[in-house]
Amino acid sequence: MAEHALAVVNLGKLFGGLAAVDGVSLNVATGERRVLIGPNGAGKTTLFHCVTGTLKPSSGQVSLFGRDVTRLAEHRRTALGMGRTFQITNVFPDLTLGENLALAIVGTDRRKWVVHRPAETFEEVRRQALEGLARVGLEGRAQLPAKLVSYGERRQLELALALNTGPKVLFLDEPCAGLSPAERQRISQMIADLPRSMTLLMIEHDMDVALGLADRVTVLHRGRVILEGTPQEVRANPQVRDVYFGHA
Amino acid sequence: MDRARLMLLVVALAGAAALPWIGGPFWTGLATQMMIFGLLALSVDLLLGHAGLFSLTHASFFAVSAYTVAILQVRYGWPTLAAAPAGILLGTALAALFGISVRTRGVYFILITIALGYVVWGIAHRWSSFTGGDNGVTNVPFPAVGPLAVTSHTQYYYVVLAAVILCGLGYRVLIRSPFGLGLRGVKASETRMQSLGYRTGLHIYVAFVLSGALASFAGVLYVYYNKFVNPVAASFPVSVEAALMAIVGGTGTIVGPFLGAGVVLGLRNWVSSFVEMHHAIMGAVFIATVLWAPQGLVGIAARVRARLKGRDG
Repeated sequence: MAEHALAVVNLGKLFGGLAAVDGVSLNVATGERRVLIGPNGAGKTTLFHCVTGTLKPSSGQVSLFGRDVTRLAEHRRTALGMGRTFQITNVFPDLTLGENLALAIVGTDRRKWVVHRPAETFEEVRRQALEGLARVGLEGRAQLPAKLVSYGERRQLELALALNTGPKVLFLDEPCAGLSPAERQRISQMIADLPRSMTLLMIEHDMDVALGLADRVTVLHRGRVILEGTPQEVRANPQVRDVYFGHA
Repeated sequence: MDRARLMLLVVALAGAAALPWIGGPFWTGLATQMMIFGLLALSVDLLLGHAGLFSLTHASFFAVSAYTVAILQVRYGWPTLAAAPAGILLGTALAALFGISVRTRGVYFILITIALGYVVWGIAHRWSSFTGGDNGVTNVPFPAVGPLAVTSHTQYYYVVLAAVILCGLGYRVLIRSPFGLGLRGVKASETRMQSLGYRTGLHIYVAFVLSGALASFAGVLYVYYNKFVNPVAASFPVSVEAALMAIVGGTGTIVGPFLGAGVVLGLRNWVSSFVEMHHAIMGAVFIATVLWAPQGLVGIAARVRARLKGRDG
């Protein structure tokens, strides 16, 4: 059996009496591109938070490449190869784009503890930051503070931050949220162009984007998995239409 | 660095070097205090301006260090070279202990630091057999290293000036280092920093200890200037004033806390000579800063410069 990049077993998350995630199991193979869809409130983001360590699950287990990470702090999971973006843009507004990337680059190694040398003297980091920005179409913007670039560019930066922690498994929480159709197109293309060795998990509302990128799709509804299959299977499933568009 | 700033720096340094001749003992003394309390404010601002934590216990490190030096020198006859490092060490050790407060954030952090500060003040005040109670420890000599001994306040002014310049340079490297950048990252978004691989709690804890070390150093400079130390050094108002200095001068900068110290100490000296309620006036200055110049004096200077530049162009 090929080892799963990510295995989620019977994961649950309670908020008071509400089961936001209710016994979700999920196996994602190495190199697979998995898209999570589901209506608002289905528990997609909560599931992401529990898997990446932002929230503690109430029950269940999460393994990364066969290693149980359920009780590991988020920064430890990042060190093991989890990377994530946020649905609500979460970048450093007062820092320049170059500094934003520098934080991501040194975050997973010992250089983050260096106190006796200015950050900009790390030639290697500088070069990697410029490459990282170019990779998401932000070349020439390194000196600008993040608060001064457009919303679309901040979404690109959001993606660049996650890519520069050296992730093996990348979690994208609605990377195209709030973007114009043209910008959506750009970001989805960037995601499509990521190396196939990187395992992807993506939450996406736009069915066309989702089904275009996915190898497999998992449909969540009220905290449960109601269907898992190929994009074609999901598209053809009457239950999914029901959940998305309601009863006639 | 552009030419205007370089010129400003040279003028400031020349002015500082010449001050004892120009200003006489009064202004030299005020400038010494301004540098010492500016350094304390700078230590507070490492947390406030960079990591976004409002500590109100920094008088504790300042005072513990000052008391350590005073007691060791006066009662046990330790030389400066041993007493001063012992002061910094003990103050820093206390910061390492009080650093557990970084497990909290926001208002809770402020409240815990206030409580911790009062504990230290209480000890200084009540444990009189050891601390000397309200009288404190008096007759602290000027520092001496082997045959090199400071013999006057003017000489000591230069010692403090050199120490402050060195600290400023070191601080500048620290805040621009990857570690310093990480602090600003934590201030902006702790969740993002964690997802980028940072153990943010430890990051802030280290900053807290470093900041405590700097406050301790300021305490050493203080006790040799003041010649005595009493519980006032550990009191809540000292912590508040240090934060106030950083805010009035401009948080997140290096010059700001020193300018703020100048304003606060200057006002106190000047105002208290003709009104009794200088605290009320200080409060008004603080409120005005927060309302109309949240970036402090440094922010005002930057705005003026931007406007002048706009007019040129």
